[in-house]
Amino acid sequence: MLKLAIKSLANRKTSALLTVIAIAVSVALLLAVERVKEQVQANFANTVSGTDLIVGPRSGDVQLLLASVFHIGALNNSMSWQSYEKLSQNRQVEWSVPISLGDSVSGMPVVATTAGYFQHFKYGNQQPLKLQHGEWFNHSEQAVLGADAAEKLDFRVGDQLIIAHGTGGVSFSEHSGHPIDVVGILNRTGTPVDQSIYVDLKTLEDIHSGETAGEAEEHAHGHTGHDEHADHHHPTSAISAALVGLKSRQMALFMQRDINTADGEPLTALMPGQTLQQLWKTLRVFEQALNGISAIVVIIGLLGMLTILLASLRERSREMAVLRAVGAGPGTLFTLLVTEAVLLTVVATASGLALLYVLQISLAGLIQQQTGLLFALQWPTTAEWWRMLFVVVAGFLMSLVPAWRAYRQSLADGLTVKI
Amino acid sequence: MALAIEIDRLAFAWQGDQLTLDIPQWQVEAGETVLLRGPSGSGKSTLLSLLAGINVAQLGRVKLLEQSLSDLSGRKRDRFRADHIGYIFQQFNLLPYLSALDNVLLATQFSPKRRQRVAESGQSAERLAMQYLQRLGLSASQQQQAASNLSVGQQQRVAAARALLGAPELLIADEPTSALDSDRRDDFIKLLLELSEQNNTTVLFVTHDASLGQYFNRHVELSDINQAVGGSSHA
Repeated sequence: MLKLAIKSLANRKTSALLTVIAIAVSVALLLAVERVKEQVQANFANTVSGTDLIVGPRSGDVQLLLASVFHIGALNNSMSWQSYEKLSQNRQVEWSVPISLGDSVSGMPVVATTAGYFQHFKYGNQQPLKLQHGEWFNHSEQAVLGADAAEKLDFRVGDQLIIAHGTGGVSFSEHSGHPIDVVGILNRTGTPVDQSIYVDLKTLEDIHSGETAGEAEEHAHGHTGHDEHADHHHPTSAISAALVGLKSRQMALFMQRDINTADGEPLTALMPGQTLQQLWKTLRVFEQALNGISAIVVIIGLLGMLTILLASLRERSREMAVLRAVGAGPGTLFTLLVTEAVLLTVVATASGLALLYVLQISLAGLIQQQTGLLFALQWPTTAEWWRMLFVVVAGFLMSLVPAWRAYRQSLADGLTVKI
Repeated sequence: MALAIEIDRLAFAWQGDQLTLDIPQWQVEAGETVLLRGPSGSGKSTLLSLLAGINVAQLGRVKLLEQSLSDLSGRKRDRFRADHIGYIFQQFNLLPYLSALDNVLLATQFSPKRRQRVAESGQSAERLAMQYLQRLGLSASQQQQAASNLSVGQQQRVAAARALLGAPELLIADEPTSALDSDRRDDFIKLLLELSEQNNTTVLFVTHDASLGQYFNRHVELSDINQAVGGSSHA
């Protein structure tokens, strides 16, 4: 039966091939929507781990998370150093790392922080940052670069870079008087860390104040007692946000509420995982719209198959009559048509999956360059298998229409051919 | 003597009350070769459809190989037909996308009984089919060609090989020679009858061409047995 179906289809290979292509493309689309969603979520979820709270100026949770960790969008306010110090002295807090954003080097975001960042920031499955070359910065005017940032800007350890004010690709205000030494380059992480340039908080303060104060003094300042300086004075007056690790994760919810409702400077505290969930919830409408569209595309592809199968029935009445004459019952013809349609759908679905992988392999580099998202090659997920099953089942259900027609037609025509 | 075909008080009308067939009594004995002749529109096709079990007579009964067709369900009639009757048609005999050999092998694909009889002959269905095709004059390379590439004469021979594979008790041929010229037609009929005899197959050959009568045991005019159309006693 399968052999007969294959040979019959091979006899109509042009229309069969077109059907397969149409369905394959639609299946690839359906799977791509799921895969992009799933990989984006995995990428985002991988970006922060081990950070229990992110605290920043009063703003929306999603805005604060996106700006502080993913460098998407900006924060309109800042958080005072006093508030940060108060937070870091809270007895629930095990560690805290301040970060200050807003500057860039050729469009790559500059993250001003402390050496604690490299110690406490974790990504993926609690993986720490590692150096590919060089060392961590230990005083101002030194920078550590993410892997992509180093590659794109073509910087190596020992090179010097100039920080520009603002996050745009082109800045009108470059701090050209303050060249910064590249002292280290990080291993690739597949997170926004790769795109970033890390400098000491002090550096940012220096170059901003250096615009007015004397350059020589700042240099001398930096080279003499940096550690002393950091201990006794504020390295900066305000920061963008703080990453906080708690002694006990269970306290995160209480801490969050405490911070959000505390008197004094209005602050926002968020739990990264929870906020990401909130973000996905917001985006679910778009995701569903995309899913709906791709499902419709699949159904259009299957309707194309239905049309072709129905149209072929007329010219195949001869084939049906011959099969009837050699003893195939109407039920057999029914099965033959269903087999054909399911065969087409299965081949098309498999081709669609293959197409998805081809696209993923060929576009992965481009996607990573443009968005920093790392699309991991992997076996289809359960959700993807379900989608493929949906297509095959839909194909099967649609095949019942021409199969039923063939059944009726063969009963009426018998062994003769009515033209 | 066993009867291959037995028709008893058969009446059939397509629609309305105009009878197409009215056959009080007609029999073909097992092993006979019968030429049934009638002009177009005389009810030949209708009779064949009744013999094939595609249609069922409103009155009377059709028995093939002692089995009454009207007693069988549709599914069982399909099975009975596949197992016991080989058909050759005027045209539209082969699946164009299968090779000549695969077309012949279709005969056993839907009939376990025919497979069994082939197995009893001690040869594989494929070997036997190739032998038949060889005897009917198709070379090994022609046997592998798609049916659509064969000439009409070759196609008819492939159809004959298929009808005979698995030794059905009854062979029904419906104008199989109408597309052949007279020399080829005579050769074809001789070969067909020769192979049928080897298998002890009863042959019912339906045609409008009376000149073929010499090859058969018996020559029957449809108008002699059918009282509905042009029947003498339709008073």
